[in-house]
Amino acid sequence: MARTQKTRKLSRSDFLKLSGAGLTGAALFGVAGCGGGGTISGGGGGSGGSTFVFGRGADSISLDPIHATDGESFRATRQIFDTLLDFAPESFDMIPALATEVPKAQDGGLSYTLKLRKGVKFHDGTDFNAEAVRFNFDRWRDTKNEYHKGGGGQSSDFAYYLAQFGGFDDDSVIESVDVIDDYTVKFSLKEPQGPFTRNLTMSPFGIASPAAIKKNVDDFWQEPVGTGPYTFSKWERNSQIRVEANKDWWGTDLPASQGYGGPHLKEVIIRSIPDNTQRVAALTGNQLNGADGLVPDDVPTVKQQEGFALEFRPPNTVGYLAMNNEKEPFDDPKVRQAFNYAIDMPKLVEAVLGETGEVASNYMPPLIPFFNNSIEPYPYDPDKAKQLLAEAGVENLETELWYMPIPRPYMPDAKSVAQIMQQDLKDVGVNAKLVTYEWGTYLDKTGKGDHTMCLLGWTGDNGDADNFLNVLLNSASATPSAASNVAYYKNPEVDKLLEKAQTTVNESARQDAYYRAQEIMHEDAPWVPIAYVKPPIGLQDAVKNFDPNPTSSESFNPVTLSGGK
Amino acid sequence: MAEAQIQQDEAVSLGVETRSRRQDFLRAFFSNRLAIFGTAIMGVFILMAVFAPYVAPYSPLQQHLPQKFAGPSFAHPFGQDELGRDILSRVIYGARISLTAGLAAVALATTVGTIVGLAAGYLGRWPDSMLMRLMDVLLAFPSILLAIVIVSILGPSLANAMLAVGIVFIPQIARVVRSAVISVRERDYIEAERALGAGDAQIVLSGILPNSMAPLIVQATLTLATAILDVAALSFLGLGARAPTPEWGAMLTDAFRSGFGVFLQGQHAIIFPGVAIALAVLSVNFIGDGLRDALDPRRRG
Repeated sequence: MARTQKTRKLSRSDFLKLSGAGLTGAALFGVAGCGGGGTISGGGGGSGGSTFVFGRGADSISLDPIHATDGESFRATRQIFDTLLDFAPESFDMIPALATEVPKAQDGGLSYTLKLRKGVKFHDGTDFNAEAVRFNFDRWRDTKNEYHKGGGGQSSDFAYYLAQFGGFDDDSVIESVDVIDDYTVKFSLKEPQGPFTRNLTMSPFGIASPAAIKKNVDDFWQEPVGTGPYTFSKWERNSQIRVEANKDWWGTDLPASQGYGGPHLKEVIIRSIPDNTQRVAALTGNQLNGADGLVPDDVPTVKQQEGFALEFRPPNTVGYLAMNNEKEPFDDPKVRQAFNYAIDMPKLVEAVLGETGEVASNYMPPLIPFFNNSIEPYPYDPDKAKQLLAEAGVENLETELWYMPIPRPYMPDAKSVAQIMQQDLKDVGVNAKLVTYEWGTYLDKTGKGDHTMCLLGWTGDNGDADNFLNVLLNSASATPSAASNVAYYKNPEVDKLLEKAQTTVNESARQDAYYRAQEIMHEDAPWVPIAYVKPPIGLQDAVKNFDPNPTSSESFNPVTLSGGK
Repeated sequence: MAEAQIQQDEAVSLGVETRSRRQDFLRAFFSNRLAIFGTAIMGVFILMAVFAPYVAPYSPLQQHLPQKFAGPSFAHPFGQDELGRDILSRVIYGARISLTAGLAAVALATTVGTIVGLAAGYLGRWPDSMLMRLMDVLLAFPSILLAIVIVSILGPSLANAMLAVGIVFIPQIARVVRSAVISVRERDYIEAERALGAGDAQIVLSGILPNSMAPLIVQATLTLATAILDVAALSFLGLGARAPTPEWGAMLTDAFRSGFGVFLQGQHAIIFPGVAIALAVLSVNFIGDGLRDALDPRRRG
């Protein structure tokens, strides 16, 4: 015992002396080292002009898009698969893709007939036609279909079909998909669905090769075959996905201004670098041609670097503070309005989001059709807030403010948001304790309504108002568990308007309903809307025609890399 | 060694030369330059912690959003953080939290560890085996991992972080106390006490415990260093102090959250809390080492 004590002590003392001497030096060196690490030149990163390396924060889960719900899966499947319809660059305007025109509703919204593009081939050489479209929709809808499976261990089990088309089998809004001729297909619906055509643009509904699925449905999620501008080549788990140019892509000769054309790159590598700091270091060190998931504070950093530019994804998100309308004192609209007046939102958004966000006035982002432009955000007015609180009989309120433990696209730094709100609320006599939980627990607890106030947000799927307002504020979504209406806002009038807008295809009727719903919500103030975030994407100057799509994943077909550097 | 120990024990039991023994200890401790350095630094931290409201130039919570990550200046010697709060003030208040958290954790570990160690060492046989196997189970996990598990179960908060870190360090204290007790319990003076009719409790409290103090003090001090570090680590991982508490580990993670740009423009937001953690841990380690050397009878000459 004595002996071991002695040896241990000697080496320990030496270590302590050394560390003492080198303490400050080491700290400084560590920081400098991180900055310098970026100078390592990357394989094919900045030169060649034919391989495009894009960095992102996480690996894909499935490359069969119907088996995925995460944006990182869609980022890869967008290259490999095409959807029937698409969005024009940087907007929510629908354009044709595998269909040749955006269809009009027939029979009062009960059927749609789609003309399909001729001469399109899947990457395995088989033909794309009406039969292929029918095969895909049958596979998604019919749980007894022998190909209604696959997707690997983390499959979402066709979750997006369930979410967008009401359910499987008899619950599905789509009753049948019928082949009229080789290049015409007809969708028959059980009831009119306002967002139907917009749903067809969504990444999960990319059309897959029936031949490849029949050959091996269980492995299709890791050996995907579509019609997209790039063909799948290799997936190295947790590291990168490689895709190669599809020389016979149908969109090559169509106008680039509409998002067609290309593919101009020989190869695309989509690389996963989970750590934000490392990813930005890799970008500025020219190991990547582009990267997303930049935190707002990195925007000026990348901007100042020579040879780099930023693109902003159009906002398709809303971040908010939800007050639990079922809990005192938030059952009183005056209190909720007071909170809207109490927080200096322009100051908060400037500090936390900088250029990457704009103050929210509404309960959905402005790019979404039927956004009510006449609504102004509540102004910052602490005196008015105090007055409203006094009228509601609320004094020295002690409450809790929950914030997300991790960065989300709609709120990259919830902890700072919460701390700034806490200070503003203190000024009007509200003492909010900050609380957070591990992310899974957080969603679980907020979904059960355990909170009094919580920060959350939403990223849109299909560019339709229904996808924001109905999901987040319909009383039907204020369920006892897994609620998406975490404000537990229940207004029968709003419910009626939302339902009306959902089940009609009459655009002006939808507009009236959504406009009115937004006005009522603004008045009822179940949330304090915070901001619409425009996620930044860092790119080398050599990268051109990168058109960020609001749906958080875009096809890289128009992208070019000019020369080496 | 045994001989020296006996001489010393005789001196104690005879009640003579105690003053010179303390002088011996102080001389030995303060002849160690690193120990002096450690004591001085720790003294500064303790003063900072006690007089934080008088020493800190600003409130640690006062935000100045437009001055986000402003560098060190005359008004803000350590610069400002991601919400424009004064980092110097936060580091000063952070000393309060880190030291209290560390001390609380060590107090818990020492109390429980000493009871377990005394019981195991004095009773021997099956209570010994049972208690020490239990300690081995705790010891089998890497300390920070076990702390993370405990905090995850209890829910993240500073109190739970202290509790977790305290639990994690129980086995180390228990083992040290047990081995000291075993070396003391068969000594002649214990036999003498027993012969005089003292009960178990009296023997343990007046005979065994005081004579096992030296290794315990050393171990507790060294544990304090690790406890401060572990509490900071838990806060860094978001499992400790609640926002907006100015805790050193949490300050680090807040700075890192702001991305790559911090490494280029906001280094001060990382360096100062980081250096505070390093200095506190290092100084406690120096003190612990000094104590060990000073209390080691073999070092006397």
